[in-house]
Amino acid sequence: MNKITSPRTKAYRFICTIILILLALMFLFPLYWIVTGAFKPGADIWSVKPVWWPSEWTMQNFENLLNKRSSPLFEITIPFSRYFTESGKNIVLFQGPTAPAAYRWLINTVFMAVAAMILTCITATFAGYALAKKRFRGRGILFGLIVCAMALPKQVILIPLLKEISFLELYDNIWAVIFPTVGWPFGVFLMKQFSESIPGEILESSRIDGASELKTFTTIVVPMVKPGIGALAIFTFINSWNDYFLQLLMLTSNANFTLPLGIATLQGETSVDMGLLMAGAALSALPIIIVFLIFQKYFTKGITMGAVKG
Amino acid sequence: MKHTKKILALVLALSMVFTLCAFAQADGVEPAKEITLWTYPIGNWGNEATVNELMSAFEADTGIHVTVEYLDYTNGDDKVNSALTAGEGPDLIMEGPERLVANWGANGYMVDISDLFDDTDKAELIPATLAACTHTSGAIYEYPVVMTAHCMAINKNAFEQADALQYLDLENHTWTTENFFKAVQALYDTFGDTVAAVFCAGQGGDQGTRALINNLYGGTFTNAEHTAYTWDDPKNVQAISELLAADGIAFDASLQGGDEIAKFYQGVLKMAFCWNIAQQLNPNTANGPAEKTATGDDIVFMSFPSETGESSLQGGIWGFGIFDNGDEARIAAAKQFIKYFCDSEHTADAVKAANYFACRDTAEGTDLSGVWADNAIMNEYTKLMPYLGDYYQVTTGWAACRTAWWNMLQKVGEGADIEATIAEYMAQANEAAAG
Amino acid sequence: MANGANHKLSRTLQRREDATGYLFMLPSLIFFVGFVIIPMFICIFMSLTNANMHASKEVSFIGLQNFVKLAKDKEFLAALKNTFIIVLVSVPVVCLFSLWVASVIYNYNGFALSAFRCIFYLPVVTGSVAVTAVWKWMYDNYSGIFNIVLKETGIIEKNINWLGNSDYALWCIILILLTTSVGQPIVLYVSALGNVDQTLVEAAKVDGATDTQVFWRIKWAQMMPTTLYILVITTINSFQCFALIQLLTKGGAGTNTVMYYIYYTAFKLTEQTGHFGYANAMGVVLAIFIGLLSAVQFKLAQEK
Repeated sequence: MNKITSPRTKAYRFICTIILILLALMFLFPLYWIVTGAFKPGADIWSVKPVWWPSEWTMQNFENLLNKRSSPLFEITIPFSRYFTESGKNIVLFQGPTAPAAYRWLINTVFMAVAAMILTCITATFAGYALAKKRFRGRGILFGLIVCAMALPKQVILIPLLKEISFLELYDNIWAVIFPTVGWPFGVFLMKQFSESIPGEILESSRIDGASELKTFTTIVVPMVKPGIGALAIFTFINSWNDYFLQLLMLTSNANFTLPLGIATLQGETSVDMGLLMAGAALSALPIIIVFLIFQKYFTKGITMGAVKG
Repeated sequence: MKHTKKILALVLALSMVFTLCAFAQADGVEPAKEITLWTYPIGNWGNEATVNELMSAFEADTGIHVTVEYLDYTNGDDKVNSALTAGEGPDLIMEGPERLVANWGANGYMVDISDLFDDTDKAELIPATLAACTHTSGAIYEYPVVMTAHCMAINKNAFEQADALQYLDLENHTWTTENFFKAVQALYDTFGDTVAAVFCAGQGGDQGTRALINNLYGGTFTNAEHTAYTWDDPKNVQAISELLAADGIAFDASLQGGDEIAKFYQGVLKMAFCWNIAQQLNPNTANGPAEKTATGDDIVFMSFPSETGESSLQGGIWGFGIFDNGDEARIAAAKQFIKYFCDSEHTADAVKAANYFACRDTAEGTDLSGVWADNAIMNEYTKLMPYLGDYYQVTTGWAACRTAWWNMLQKVGEGADIEATIAEYMAQANEAAAG
Repeated sequence: MANGANHKLSRTLQRREDATGYLFMLPSLIFFVGFVIIPMFICIFMSLTNANMHASKEVSFIGLQNFVKLAKDKEFLAALKNTFIIVLVSVPVVCLFSLWVASVIYNYNGFALSAFRCIFYLPVVTGSVAVTAVWKWMYDNYSGIFNIVLKETGIIEKNINWLGNSDYALWCIILILLTTSVGQPIVLYVSALGNVDQTLVEAAKVDGATDTQVFWRIKWAQMMPTTLYILVITTINSFQCFALIQLLTKGGAGTNTVMYYIYYTAFKLTEQTGHFGYANAMGVVLAIFIGLLSAVQFKLAQEK
């Protein structure tokens, strides 16, 4: 674009930049405060006047976080074996070494987000393609249902969901958090938007060549909607990571906690240890930020393409 | 999707197994070898290292393995409720009668453990604690272990600076209403800002605000029979309006008890209304030195102010209750647990872990009066114990009443008419009290 | 339709389409039906009963009584109002704010552009619980950064109790919600601006249109699909503000929302605890409103 910028526009842009930088600082602040707070000694944490930079860098908060609670690093259990045991608990086949529970919580959180991500991507890609390209009866109603359910907060169905989960014997099990996340139909909606852009002729010619439906799907559809899958993956990962509510409702035992839940139980009777809280926050935020920064480009590309289509 | 199919298949297959197991469990009540305990952070009962020690001692003696889960006061209640809804409640729970008796017990989730109390136990336990753990139906839903009196605390250095120490009886840890307001004024004149907060963001630590308001002019919270709430007592109205009028006292809807303690610990507030011996020993659970704020100021615990100086303090009682999971073997094991920690030579360990006072002087011949003999702070604190007042927290509708109380304080704090607001919210509480 | 198959399909072909269509839908439907639709139906059913957490009490059908009670429940009506304030304020503000940010940073070079994009996305990836903890401290009545800054600059004299005062608390929560919502819309608008048909822009400029006119008449019109998509995701996001309320105010100080009130009625330790029928009735009311809102949005989308 050729640019003939008038002084007025220049001034406007300058002011905008100043405001933007201020806003950026505000958006950066929580992360800055979490990271520095995680390394601040008690005196800085409890100081009435804000301490902008740790007076000394200490690992004390992380030590508190790691030493307060312990748990086997991982466990492999036989599902439903609880009916045969006297204790009413599943038989543990294999148990990892005892480690600080925070590590277990981190593993749980990652497992939860990754499992939700993979399941969502698979189911939503199939369904999105069908909704966009298959002219089966009832798809209009189905799509309407999906659109209406998309904005539904999970609190609306909290009680039936809890009852159902306990009926399925999944209460206090990480899958209880994963399945409802996968059920949330936003992914289907997103993948439908993507699949719309696949030219019908290509599908048609593949069919004429005698490819099976599944073959057409894997060789033609999936490569074409790949950016969408990437975007959906990151989107679901973040979403599931942040879904405090389901975790709060479904998980009750130390070994099954996610990081935010676990950190909450480390608080004392009447106290809030900000240092420990910040250490926990740093621990839970850093992996996801790293994931985000690595896949940032992919992500940006992905979400855009789906949306720009009407 | 594969998972769902598998699960469905398994559910079908196992429903048959389940019926088999149900038959198998019917005969004999050999105590189970594994039970679960959920505990709130009561002193070091929220500390894994301490609890593990207690549990391994218990396992060594009885062969029963206890899996412990730690609750917090923010979400703990919700967790218990959602677990109960899902039918996955724990076997044992540690908390106070206001939850165990007035709520879960009254709603039929708890096992009546009156068979654990023989005549000696009944004689040894402080009557008020046993009474608090007994439901109006006569069933006992909690075995009390420890207790304390809730009090308040002041920042001695700040009082010194404001020349307000003259208003305190530091020897007996008491003061009068008149002196309390004088001290608040003096502190406000010196520091020019809020020095004490009537916190009301939620129910956390609300025993402090109740005790403050009731004691100032001798108002009551419930009637003597614990059947109805009586906050509209004109003496309470007077107390609230004087607190509202006082410079330096804020009704703060952004703080709960724990937040208030943190602010006091930081040195921002000069008084804390949510305090007891556990805080005195380890202020703000920050593992700093005892009786000191973050800035190194001295903390003095005080009785709540009243016209005569003789206040009636709110008691805190903690103990164990058993959830009825319909499994006799696990209930039997849980009872064994309670016997072990509440009424045996091991009771001293349970008491020490909790950082509070024992509910009895002897347990099965073991003397408990000396548990804290070597602790000067604990000994000094016993000066407050005679002021222990009525344990009214077991009045029906207690949980609803707590909610109504902090909501009322929020509204009044924002300038709503005191009498009308109290009447409105007290009516809600009384509706719950009427069942 | 892209595949252009608008003609009626023959019967065998239709059956084939049905079969493959539903086969492809199946994995997703298992979860969607299992964990959204079925619970929703149970929810509707339970809302017509006096279902209770306590098994000891009998469940019976009570018709619309719960809804009648809701209509008189002051707390619920306030929560409903707050829920709508949150959605109706945050959705347009997020849209306009991200449009503005995007239009400014669009002119920057590559590095600055992606740096800003990342920064505005950070609160989303930092995690709601962690970010909320920091904001709680920022809003602190006694030692929070807002009060300190405002006091030192002399704008206020006395501390403002941000989260404890019903004049401010809801707006404070909306502000946090905004910071955690604008990340994606900004990314979307930046790309949409890049896709604007430049020939139209040039043509308009030749015709003497000002920058402002070009922006609204041409760019804005071309970005309509993006805007609609942003409206949808922001609406979804605004209804998910449970954690903020739970962690900051617990529904006090005039910040109760229907989402929180349902949870509160179901599980908070009060005498109301476990009034499942009543809580579900709230869910049904909210679901109806959300359904209507979605329908309107998609009606709009189709017209464009």
